[in-house]
Amino acid sequence: MKLLGPIFGGVFNVAVVLLVAPFCEGLLRKLTARIQSRQGPPVWQAYFDLLKLLGKEDIEAGESPFMQRVAVYLSLATVLTIACLVPMGFPAPMNNAGDALLLIYLLTLAGVGTLLAGLAAGSTFSLLGISREMMTMIALEPLFAIAIVVGAIHAGSFRLDTVLHGAVYGGGSAWSGMVMLAVLLLSFQAFVQRVPFDIPEAETEIMEGPLMEYSGPKLALFKWAQMAKLVIYSALFVGLFLPWGNELIFPLGWLVFWAKVFALVLLVTLVAATHARYRIDQAIRYFAGLLAVALVALILASYGF
Amino acid sequence: MLTPEQSVVAAILLCLAGAALTLLTSRSKAAAGWLAFAVTAGSAALILPAVWQVLARGPAQPARFFPLPAVGFALRIYVDGLTSLFLLLAVLVAVPASLYSIRYLEHYADYSVARYYPYFLLFLAAMFGLLSTTDMMWFFFIFWQLMTLPGYALIRFEHKNPANIRAANKFLVMMEIACAATMVGAELLAVTGAAATGGATLKYDFDTVSANLPAMLVTRPAATAVAFGLFLVGFGIKMGMWPFGQIWLPDAHPAAPSPVSAMLSGVMIKTGVYGLIRYFLWLVPAGAQADFPLANWGWLIAILGTITLFTGTMQALKQEQSKRLLAFHSIGQIGYILLGAGACLALLPAAGPAGAFHALAALALFGALFHVLNHGLFKALLFLNAGSLLHATGTQDLDKMGGLMKFMPLTAITCLVASFSISGVPLFNGFASKWSIYVATIQGAGGAKYLPVCGVIAILTSALTLASFIKFYGVSFLCRSSALVKEQAARHGRLEVGGLMQVPQVFLAAVCVLLGLVPALAFQLIGAALNASRQGFGTTLADAMTATSGSLTGLEAANNTARFAPLVLAIVLGLMFAVVRFVSKLGGARRRADAPWLCGYAREAECHRYVAHNFYGEIKRYFRWLGGTPRTRPGRQPGLKEH
Repeated sequence: MKLLGPIFGGVFNVAVVLLVAPFCEGLLRKLTARIQSRQGPPVWQAYFDLLKLLGKEDIEAGESPFMQRVAVYLSLATVLTIACLVPMGFPAPMNNAGDALLLIYLLTLAGVGTLLAGLAAGSTFSLLGISREMMTMIALEPLFAIAIVVGAIHAGSFRLDTVLHGAVYGGGSAWSGMVMLAVLLLSFQAFVQRVPFDIPEAETEIMEGPLMEYSGPKLALFKWAQMAKLVIYSALFVGLFLPWGNELIFPLGWLVFWAKVFALVLLVTLVAATHARYRIDQAIRYFAGLLAVALVALILASYGF
Repeated sequence: MLTPEQSVVAAILLCLAGAALTLLTSRSKAAAGWLAFAVTAGSAALILPAVWQVLARGPAQPARFFPLPAVGFALRIYVDGLTSLFLLLAVLVAVPASLYSIRYLEHYADYSVARYYPYFLLFLAAMFGLLSTTDMMWFFFIFWQLMTLPGYALIRFEHKNPANIRAANKFLVMMEIACAATMVGAELLAVTGAAATGGATLKYDFDTVSANLPAMLVTRPAATAVAFGLFLVGFGIKMGMWPFGQIWLPDAHPAAPSPVSAMLSGVMIKTGVYGLIRYFLWLVPAGAQADFPLANWGWLIAILGTITLFTGTMQALKQEQSKRLLAFHSIGQIGYILLGAGACLALLPAAGPAGAFHALAALALFGALFHVLNHGLFKALLFLNAGSLLHATGTQDLDKMGGLMKFMPLTAITCLVASFSISGVPLFNGFASKWSIYVATIQGAGGAKYLPVCGVIAILTSALTLASFIKFYGVSFLCRSSALVKEQAARHGRLEVGGLMQVPQVFLAAVCVLLGLVPALAFQLIGAALNASRQGFGTTLADAMTATSGSLTGLEAANNTARFAPLVLAIVLGLMFAVVRFVSKLGGARRRADAPWLCGYAREAECHRYVAHNFYGEIKRYFRWLGGTPRTRPGRQPGLKEH
């Protein structure tokens, strides 16, 4: 009986993420088009794309196809595992198997799949892309980690349910939490790999970077993982900074949660549609500035503010 | 049945005898190699039961050997839990390294093994001795020299390359400075301690010094502080702490033959960690805690650790030579161990609800000791991997490698395990130890306000480590075959190393995975070790440990506010893998292998390959001031710009 809840919750989260993620992507594309005065594809286009890709020929251009396969499975499998660690309208299913520190590292691991894929493909553009992707990860991981750590210090706990329930605002005053909210809002586009921080993919410049050599089902899985990341990071953001209303009774709390996630997707779309891409060095300088602010927030948090 | 102390002395004598025998048989490389392996395995067979005996049934009494009443000293050996843990690491690394040496040494056509195996065994004997002697002066000196001089000889093994001789000379000078610093520190404690309480026999003995210390802390606080400062410098040099490590370590590790690099990085620098932990935590009696500035030392060591881990790893990120890259990472990983040890010292005296911070201090020490074990295992494995790469391609230059996974699949898999372990990927052993250090430093915010910042820098550095190993692994095993690799493959037909070199790699990789999936094993081992070394703060720490661990439930620390169940995670991740694989097959897509698209160019020339040098240009540029940038070597094609 004790196992039934987490298993059911995990299956539910995974299924919802897999099904809702393409819808968010479709919404994002449609809205972007409208903002830019275009007609845009139908909202369901992302589902059609995935279905089409799953049936297309799978060309393996790298010298180690085994690693290409492992990398692509790793990429989506890790994202789905993270889905089991995130509260989505009800408590995190794997609350007893991991904590917030594990979450930080799993989010990194989800990126490692793309990196290995790019390396295994081995073309120059892929490698250029993964070099940029890794640099972005180096700059971004600490920002997210500090948000988690600020919450953990205030709550005195790393438990997922505690940290991902607005713990950053704990402590004497909510100062450190507010600073981290600003920092993560300003870097959120980069976490979900959208313009202006989609530097590793940069279609118009290095032709999707790490994914350049991928086609067919492998590309479908990578795209799916990327869409799922948008949902998962939005869910994490909601858990960290906007927890209010989640404790309502089942259908209501759940609906409130997803309304907040969709609101974040809209925000991402709005920013993405109206900005131009940064260069990698500009982006790193920007993240470094945010990191300095985040460290101040961390020091505030350890003094109880 | 031998007592643990007798076993250790027997192992030392066996290694010494083995050194003489391998010298006699050095005509035949294979005979000497097998003999050295047999001796190492024999010493392991002596050490392992002793370790088991201590951990399962508690330590025996310190024992004296070879007394020399005329000069007033004897070899006093004591094997307690802490010693056992490091002895275990020494044999876990030494046996695979000696097995690996047999075939590896055959590719040195110009060098005789007479200058390899005897020194290897002397080196091993010295480590056994250094880890178990209680004499802080003369036998410490003897074992330290017995470790330094053969180490020196092994580093300059390829003496026809002048760079190796320079590296060995640096190693020798730094080790002698470290030896002098540590001995002066011991002299200060012993002499002033004896003056404070009246003379004693065996005045350099650990227990005597420890007994004299409380009085001395009250009467001569300055002299004691200087002595402990000297210990920190001496052991800091040995373990490669910033700023000393950067002087000798990155030159010495790449110069030595790969199995020796594995021993240097996996075990030798850990004797410095052992010394530091032993002197700072076990020497001071728990009753004298009020007079000993634990919090200040903890602050200093934690800050030094944080600087060490960041600088070492950032410098490693810039490297383009395989073994030099690994050597810088040794400095970086030692930083984690120092941070754990420093956090332990800093949290011990923290005021709080009864014992709240004691449990976190114990967790920090668990993390540090677990990372000692883990680093020994995965770094030894990485150096053996680098040795295999060197064996197959004849170069340490990462810019010239590429696509080796196709040619060396087994080495590639073991190297992936090691790379994931050192980068702290969950389900591999490096994660579990880093996790403990993070929990202790971040939860310790209430005890020492600077610790969370150290912890976050450690998390950030972990991403740097990942970046460095993505590069190391990617450019050597993945990417596209380089001209050099194609040429070597055409010449030899087969690049993968032989079975005798694969067995040690597979063994170490298996241990890494095992400790990653069931970190409870290591936690119980370290718990037993602390329980079996009740002296100084060791008693406090052994009693304070509240983290529970079980093979199924995983780790749980700090009153159940942090938990990690690797087996559950492995099952979930495995299930997700199966789901994803199933989904990818749904469309029934056919697979086809084809050449990559080169954006319209007909073929890819060697100078168009994206090589190790090109990675992470922006980050390397922003941190140029941190040093460690490799010199541009002659022969590099001009015009390859950083992107």
